[in-house]
Amino acid sequence: MDNFQEFISEMDDKIGKIIEKPRRLFFDAENENILEVAEHLFKKMGCRLSTATAQETYKGIEVLYHFSEDKTGSYYCPRIVMKDKSNPKMNSISSVVKGAEWIEREMMEMLGITFDGHPHPEPLLTGNHPKEIKTPWRFNTNVQLRGSNNG
Amino acid sequence: MDKNVIPVGPYHPLLEEAEYFTLKVDGETVVDVDLEIGWMHRGHEFISEGKTFTQSIFLVERICGICSTSHPLAFVHAVEDVDNIEIPLRARYVRTLIGELERIHSHLLWLGLAGHFIGYDTLWMWAWKYREPVLQMFEIISGNRNHYGIMRVGGVAKDVNPEKVKPLHDVLDDIEKKINMIAKAAKDDPVLKSRLKGVGILSKQEAVDYCAVGPTARASGVHIDVRKDEPKDAYDLVEFTEIVTENGDVFDKTVVRLLEIFESIKICRQCLNKLSVSNGSIINKVKEISEGEGIGRYEAPRGEVFHYVRTDGTNRPVRHKVRAPSYVNIPTFKASCKGIPIADALITLAAVDPCYCCTERSLKLVDKNDNSFTLDLLELSREKTEKIRRSI
Amino acid sequence: MSWYNKRLAKSIWVFHISASPCNNCDIEILDLLTPKYDLERFGIKLVGSIRHADVLLVSGVINQKVAPKLKYLYSQAPKPVFVVGVGTCPASGCCFNDSYNITANREEVIPIDLYIPGCPPKPEAMIEGVAKLVEVLNG
Repeated sequence: MDNFQEFISEMDDKIGKIIEKPRRLFFDAENENILEVAEHLFKKMGCRLSTATAQETYKGIEVLYHFSEDKTGSYYCPRIVMKDKSNPKMNSISSVVKGAEWIEREMMEMLGITFDGHPHPEPLLTGNHPKEIKTPWRFNTNVQLRGSNNG
Repeated sequence: MDKNVIPVGPYHPLLEEAEYFTLKVDGETVVDVDLEIGWMHRGHEFISEGKTFTQSIFLVERICGICSTSHPLAFVHAVEDVDNIEIPLRARYVRTLIGELERIHSHLLWLGLAGHFIGYDTLWMWAWKYREPVLQMFEIISGNRNHYGIMRVGGVAKDVNPEKVKPLHDVLDDIEKKINMIAKAAKDDPVLKSRLKGVGILSKQEAVDYCAVGPTARASGVHIDVRKDEPKDAYDLVEFTEIVTENGDVFDKTVVRLLEIFESIKICRQCLNKLSVSNGSIINKVKEISEGEGIGRYEAPRGEVFHYVRTDGTNRPVRHKVRAPSYVNIPTFKASCKGIPIADALITLAAVDPCYCCTERSLKLVDKNDNSFTLDLLELSREKTEKIRRSI
Repeated sequence: MSWYNKRLAKSIWVFHISASPCNNCDIEILDLLTPKYDLERFGIKLVGSIRHADVLLVSGVINQKVAPKLKYLYSQAPKPVFVVGVGTCPASGCCFNDSYNITANREEVIPIDLYIPGCPPKPEAMIEGVAKLVEVLNG
């Protein structure tokens, strides 16, 4: 059985809107609280960071972390929405979770997010790219689809 | 001008002037590892936003050729998770059967490559020869040796008919005998033991810090297996053991994979027995997927494969996130490669079983003044095995 | 140069390049060396350096980061060299045509002489492709 009720009552003041499904908990968190939430999940509850998803929506740039609690087979997913689309910034959790380094680098280069406190903010997949691709997942990106690019 | 990189075998890409792994060495010891990737980046997540759910299954299979069941399974789990869709009993057994057969063939593939890197070419030829019957079994069930196209949202597309069950049992019995022979020969060989024990150790705390998954983590004492943590399909209906060892070196990783092959054969037999006595439909046709988010995962041969799908009520996903297990396992090199001699670098890097298409195995060596130089790592690795053999 | 081609056809040395594949074709190529298909009995072997190669096997849909490296590599191969594209990816791009990171025209990067389609092509299909190449070389 999952421990969602216990988690919600412990972190009540640090989390926002909640969507609860069997074994899945999606909740909103603010940028100021994300390090505390990550520390509670990783160190106190012993969860493992699986990965993180980033997306541009009409509300802003959204980053969704996925923490897995292996004992119960459930997932805790804090969601941070950055409303400033021209310069999205948030705190990096790689000081708490070493395994977050690579995925934050990928989100930086694909969407242009700045993670404050990240030790190696170089591009992971499109570094040294001959066509200088920038932020391909944004709505206003400079990449063109295959038909119009020249080989 | 930077000198070039060393090929890891005649079959690996020798792309000159391209640095992938950079090993910093001090004398004969490796001090640090860095790597650059991106040569396989094809933009799957970008493409799948324009495809329907069924089209995405074919797209997602082609992320990796060896794990070509794990990705579609995790993806259909994610889509089914959005609406908590139930699948029929027969489909659960077929999915588990295919997944476990894939585990057998992937571990045999790794065994062959590990043998090649340390100079045991016979092991390479044996392991790949006994892999062929498994690929034939796939052809009997689905029509293709790889890239089966058999998973669907709500079930599977092809059935295992009663006339296919007996030949499959025969092939499983045959494989078990042969792998028993290989396992005995490998475990009793003193050269292999002294070559692999104590090499490339990843401690339990480091495995937890880097969030490692799969046999890489299980060899270091971390109990993590999606088949036990969140059993889906038929994993809660069959019996098997989770294999965990304590030392975290390359020998332990080999033992974990070998023993997992035997567990997989056990699971396959149980699935075939249940399939020959049950009947029913193999798919629960789904008319629409409502708006929401879903997470699906599966225990691939290398670790946990993770898919996240966000839907908006239409037949295409709004966002599809894929995370392969090698993505979290490869950064553990930084911990397991510190302080090892160069001759062991190759087998340590291979022990994590990086999915080929996530890592291109060319390496660059730099000394402490950042000057690069070249060495043939495959030769070094084989020479070390020879030295050990002569001294025993 | 038909006398040269006939000599070549007796024992072809092959160099394998993977340019952004899913690695399935690469594994099936390696399968050709294992005891069941055993390509070495035809005198065909895989070499470790492009300067020894008579035939280049290219697999994968060539992405933009790899394309300049592939061009450079092709220029290093001593001519005449024959290029064989293995799989559906070099032939038509497979399902990746909508991506931002794919080259639009693969033939501009490296000229391919023989295509072996299939996803992945079965080892028997690859042996047939090689046999066709030998036939063409023999005139």
